[in-house]
Amino acid sequence: MEYVIEASGLTKKFGALKAVDGLSLSIKKGELFGLLGPNGSGKTTTIKLLTGQLKPLDGRARVMNVDVLKNPIRVKELVGIIPEQETPPSFLTAEEYLNFVCKIRKIENAENRCKKWLKFLEFEDQKDVLCKDLSRGTRQKLMFAQAFIHEPKLAFIDEPLINLDPVIQRKVKDFLQGFVKRGGTIFFSTHVLEIAEEICTRIAIIDKGRIIYEGRIKDLKRKKQHLEGLFLKMVKEA
Amino acid sequence: MFELLKSMMKEEWRSHSTMFGSMMFALFPVMIAIFSFAGSLFLPLFTTILAADKIALLAHYTFVIFGLSVGAFGLSGREIINRRFGQASLIAYSSKSLPVSERKIFMNFCVKDVIYYFTFWILPFMAGLAFALPFMTVSLDYLLVFSTLSLSFFIGLSAMFLLSTLYAHSSRILFGLLAIIGVPLIFLGLYFGVDLPSSLPSFSFFVSRSWEDLAFALFLIVVPSAVSLAFPKMDYPEKKRMYRNSLAGLSKKLDLLGNSHFISKDIIDMQRSEGGLGKILFAFIFPVAFIWVLLFVFLKFVPIADFLLVFSILLGVLASSIYEWLTEFDIFTSYVFLPVKVSTLMKSKIKGYAIINIVPLSILFLTAIWLNQLQDLVIAMAAFLSVSSFTLSIKIYLTGLYPNILLYSAKIFVMFLFAASPVLLPMIILSIINPLYLLASPVLMLLSFYIIKKGFAKWDKTESVYF
Repeated sequence: MEYVIEASGLTKKFGALKAVDGLSLSIKKGELFGLLGPNGSGKTTTIKLLTGQLKPLDGRARVMNVDVLKNPIRVKELVGIIPEQETPPSFLTAEEYLNFVCKIRKIENAENRCKKWLKFLEFEDQKDVLCKDLSRGTRQKLMFAQAFIHEPKLAFIDEPLINLDPVIQRKVKDFLQGFVKRGGTIFFSTHVLEIAEEICTRIAIIDKGRIIYEGRIKDLKRKKQHLEGLFLKMVKEA
Repeated sequence: MFELLKSMMKEEWRSHSTMFGSMMFALFPVMIAIFSFAGSLFLPLFTTILAADKIALLAHYTFVIFGLSVGAFGLSGREIINRRFGQASLIAYSSKSLPVSERKIFMNFCVKDVIYYFTFWILPFMAGLAFALPFMTVSLDYLLVFSTLSLSFFIGLSAMFLLSTLYAHSSRILFGLLAIIGVPLIFLGLYFGVDLPSSLPSFSFFVSRSWEDLAFALFLIVVPSAVSLAFPKMDYPEKKRMYRNSLAGLSKKLDLLGNSHFISKDIIDMQRSEGGLGKILFAFIFPVAFIWVLLFVFLKFVPIADFLLVFSILLGVLASSIYEWLTEFDIFTSYVFLPVKVSTLMKSKIKGYAIINIVPLSILFLTAIWLNQLQDLVIAMAAFLSVSSFTLSIKIYLTGLYPNILLYSAKIFVMFLFAASPVLLPMIILSIINPLYLLASPVLMLLSFYIIKKGFAKWDKTESVYF
């Protein structure tokens, strides 16, 4: 069994607040894993800990066989990350930003890759607009493109569909499912349960920094259980 | 009404104290008072080179400019606040989502700015001056100075409220009004010999103590504010700016420097941000001119010191402010999810810094020609480059990528002063003893290299800071 993400006992505190409390997870290659939880439950902090953007107070994590704490840059080289807040540099245009990411990631055929993503996410007409002047939805498309432009095998995506219109949402959902079918892995965080139920293969529910449920969507469907009911029950009990 | 004002005051305090820490921010007014106290003690020295009325005029205009900048930051600072805190929304911009009229919000905003900046900036400054009074040999009507400087501050603030309100409505109205006021003024100055700078009413009142001048000063405060309040608008018309891709070409040209995409991005940032490259040059040349005047004053009392050499040392300190500009447009939040180390970003800023140092070097070269001291240029350049790299290294170590924020922390600012002074003062003394000693100053560059390396390690280890 090939695990691409392994975390044990991850703990992170911000002052007195325990944002993530002894979190352990294992995610296999080819999974579309959804981390669900209410606002402020620790989803974004978990992604930041797993990708080396934050340092844990305790615990350890390995991503694609790389120790996150020891080599966060290598982890960021291997994976794609869509952050919760879209913060591309203000004064670059959308196209320049994708070019810039290609340079950072040392991608050779940058021009073709940029064109491909601008076309796929349907924002070619916005390519010359400064990032700061883009709509939130277009900025989210841009962040999506930068996360996949180097063709990673694993991507961490934090609330990726929230500002997208239904047409692009469908495209993105299909892309993510296709990506997983081609052997990729997705770690997906959201509080939109319908999306998780539709595209994830396995989910975990996090509340107050702790995992309170883990299971496969297939099993839920087999038991004719709805994710919303389960989510509300688990969070209430926690 | 009072609740809104109270919330805005809290918001202002918290936005500053979040950046610097409550204690460190609270100490900033103390620092202003100390600097004002020390500056006031030196006032008699200035009067030997500049007439007292000219010094007073400069002080009044400084307060006008301060008022203008406080108003400008408050009203157009959303971009800055958003960069620091993410998508922040201030109460000032909430009239669309809250059942409060824009007029009420704007009025509270103006009152808040007046109370806040008067308490934390103007009062400490005046307190410093008050403490220095018993030790000063020049006689000063303290109450008059206090009143007229405060009036100058309010004139600046009120003017900025009006200008930004007009701009929010239409840039054409703004520039039209500026032309209607500006053209006759220039005409009066050129053809009728009216001394326009001295016509600043707060300054005129300081000189003449006439009630007409006071009334005019109050008019310049009340009327622009009243017009702004009558037609409030705080949301600026935003244009979608578009550019052809210039990053790829620029990085190709700068490829030899390594990490050329970061340097290219810095250049693009500076070109496309408000004011373009000009604002950096202006912001640098203005203090250089100020130091120039100061040196002429002080070297009258220390005639054995060489102007060019002391200037080269001080120019080196000033040059390090270029680093603040280079880091102004970046927050690490934009990179934290990419395979980029903080030190990689710092290295690119240092390369940009090295390139832009051509500007101060040119100033030094021109100064040497002007003073007919080309024979000392090599020594001056050695001193300049050493000091420039040394002060830069301290800034990098202490503030990382955030000099614009962290240098406002009283603790870090004092640490910066304590780290830089033990090197700068001996250099000035050595230049007096024997200018040739300064040829040894490049040793400082080795020390700088070491400190920068330590800074890289420190900031690479530090968890990403979100200001």
